[in-house]
Amino acid sequence: MKRLWSFIALELLRLLATIVVMSAIIFLLVELMPGDVAQIILGQSATEEAVAALRVSRGLDKPALERYLSWVGGMLRGDLGQSIYMKGVSVNSLLWRRVAHSLALALTAFLLFVPLSILFGVVAAVKEKRVADSIISFFGLATMALPEFVSGVFLIVIFAVTLKWLPLVSIIPIGQTLWTNLRILILPALSITFVMFGYVSRMQRSSMIGVLHSLYIRSAKLKGLPRMYIITRHALRNALLPTITVIGMNMGWLFGGLVVVESLFGFPGMGSLLLTAVKTRDIPLIEACVLLITVIYTLSTRLTNILYAVLNPRIRYQGGQE
Amino acid sequence: MIRKTILIFVIILVAFSLTAGGAKEPAKTEKTIRVAENVPGLITPGVWDGQAITLNASIYEYLVEVDAVDNSLRPILATDWSTDDGAVWTFHLREGVKFHDGTPFDAWDVKYTIERTQDPAVGHLKRADFAVVKAIDVVDDHTVVITLKEKRPTFVMQMTDYNMAILSRHYDYENLGERSPMGTGPFILSQMVPKENALLVRNREYWDPALPKVDRLEIYFVTDLDAKVAMLEGNQVDVVPFVSPVTRLRLDAHPNINVIAAYQEHRFIAMAVDQKPFDDNRVRLAFKYTMDPDILARSVAQTTVGEGFYYNESPIMNTLVEYHEMGRRGRDIAKARSLLEEAGYPNGVSVDLYYANDHPYSKELSQTVAELAAPAGFAINLKGFPRDIYLTQYWLKVGFSITGWGGRIDPAILLGLAFRSDGPWNEPHLADPVIDSLIDRIASEADEVVRSRYYQQLQQYFYDEGAIINIQVPKLVALRTNVTGYQHPLTMIVQYKYADID
Repeated sequence: MKRLWSFIALELLRLLATIVVMSAIIFLLVELMPGDVAQIILGQSATEEAVAALRVSRGLDKPALERYLSWVGGMLRGDLGQSIYMKGVSVNSLLWRRVAHSLALALTAFLLFVPLSILFGVVAAVKEKRVADSIISFFGLATMALPEFVSGVFLIVIFAVTLKWLPLVSIIPIGQTLWTNLRILILPALSITFVMFGYVSRMQRSSMIGVLHSLYIRSAKLKGLPRMYIITRHALRNALLPTITVIGMNMGWLFGGLVVVESLFGFPGMGSLLLTAVKTRDIPLIEACVLLITVIYTLSTRLTNILYAVLNPRIRYQGGQE
Repeated sequence: MIRKTILIFVIILVAFSLTAGGAKEPAKTEKTIRVAENVPGLITPGVWDGQAITLNASIYEYLVEVDAVDNSLRPILATDWSTDDGAVWTFHLREGVKFHDGTPFDAWDVKYTIERTQDPAVGHLKRADFAVVKAIDVVDDHTVVITLKEKRPTFVMQMTDYNMAILSRHYDYENLGERSPMGTGPFILSQMVPKENALLVRNREYWDPALPKVDRLEIYFVTDLDAKVAMLEGNQVDVVPFVSPVTRLRLDAHPNINVIAAYQEHRFIAMAVDQKPFDDNRVRLAFKYTMDPDILARSVAQTTVGEGFYYNESPIMNTLVEYHEMGRRGRDIAKARSLLEEAGYPNGVSVDLYYANDHPYSKELSQTVAELAAPAGFAINLKGFPRDIYLTQYWLKVGFSITGWGGRIDPAILLGLAFRSDGPWNEPHLADPVIDSLIDRIASEADEVVRSRYYQQLQQYFYDEGAIINIQVPKLVALRTNVTGYQHPLTMIVQYKYADID
């Protein structure tokens, strides 16, 4: 148990170091973006006086190091700054609303693809080299090969245009909330499910096949245990490890990297907010979004490592330098 | 396990279907127009970048407005205006008008709005245009006299610029202008979710009791054009301002959607007269002889000349009264070749063409221009950059460029900015005393007939020796057929107060 805790502490230290380094890199990259931000914001009719006034008003005239330190200081206090455009509107008020929407979308997709992929992966493994296996494998490969913007368009054509069951674009009508419009989550979540299903179900299938061919499963069968009991209690438990890794590795993408899916469906999540921020060069917003995505990616990777260590003691022995 | 999975799905589906249609909707008797437009940039008048037109144009108001059909001026906050010589202007203002915060509108607000253009802390985009103002005298609460440093017989046109919305002198626009815009307009901002949507409701104390015709304007801010168009097709919005010509082809097949060319915008092909090879007028003429307006209209805007697309070789828009028809030059490759040879380029000439490749029409235009000019010996290398890079690093510096320009209701404003030798945005690097003198005479001539003659002379000069080609592309607006009375003039200030929906 002590070893596990020291492993977790080490992982958290690594997480912190990554975030510190990343914050500097993000700030530097945004600094290096071509063009004068004030000029870009004011557009073609910007005059020198207008550009200078905007720089002063948004603090862009201060040295980069000073701005970096004040940004980091603000973050430590939980203040992510103000949007360059909406003077007086904090990035916090823009960001967290979108994060909540993206979390709802990620959770919906998660609830759809995880049970589906594991179920069909197991079925394919149990029915190895039979018709069911071929169909599931083919479907998995096909959905994996289709980028989400292609499968998304298919889904839109079927469910929104032809059947008219679901809205074409996943916007929240004015004056309403996401919680009263949960149906707008279905199409984007299905689109994500299409992408993830192939990865996860194939991973589940191959690890399950490996386990089903092992000696202890054979002895379980010879002991006369019921087939379902062997599959769910003996085989699945051990065959889940690689699947958890794949899911864990993709959690960062799922919670923060859905730029394409959110843009395609017009969904008001963090991905589409980031796209808007980049397009309009809203620096504090870009920095906040990218940093948050970095934190989610790093956190999900580290959490996967920890979960893995909990499930598989050999990892924590190595990880704990024992 | 299978049972558990099925149970999870059933729970999700039931939960999601229960939420459908359970939300509050506006009362059925209320009329609502829903619009999908770009995510706003800066919106405070003075530094407004021209995005979010539905939002700003509905909240704010101007002294005068432009008729979308004939470009004439209509009284709004000013009931009438007069000038004897173009140097002293008297504006009589509408009585009984209130700002959305309840404060009354008067002559002091007009004085504040114009004086604000010169405040360095604001960084007002119209500072240069209003530097001509010498004094603003408030005669009484509803009369203001503006004295200019020199004669400007078309000065009133400056008050139609989208950054010249009349502001309340009591309101803190520097701190509230971006999140709580407030004016005297026909609609009041009711709520705004930054970068997502805004709800505008009818101003019940609007000075014209017959307007606006609808109760609510719902504005969705959407970055992606395809998403906006999908919202229109899916009946989630009623209007999408500014779609592409390719989208128009797609929407033309839709029975409930119309696409209209609201007005035109310039795309100036500028040839710098101080850089090779266009320092020689024969090369400029040769290039002009390679152009074919019909092919350009078809390839750039999927239309024909006169149907929202225009072509000429002067700075003036074809649709303005100041425009004089010069006749078509006609495409003549042999003549273009011989002109190039005369200019010392018998084997043709290679030249880089710079443009913003993400700006509407620019990519298609640059490619078509290169194709058309090639047979005469112009080897045009296309140098497309994202618009912000183009504007900050190449624009005004390079020798050959395509740039988008908004149309001006008074072409004299554009002439001073872009074609006078000291103009801040002089793309072709003109330093021609003939052009400067004509521009000055146009700006100060009070007699319309004489002014029109100067315009004609200027256009002839540009036709013979000019350094630009003026291509005018349509700004396309897609609307559902149940939207009527949509008016969107050249000033960009869309007039939703006249719009209705069945």
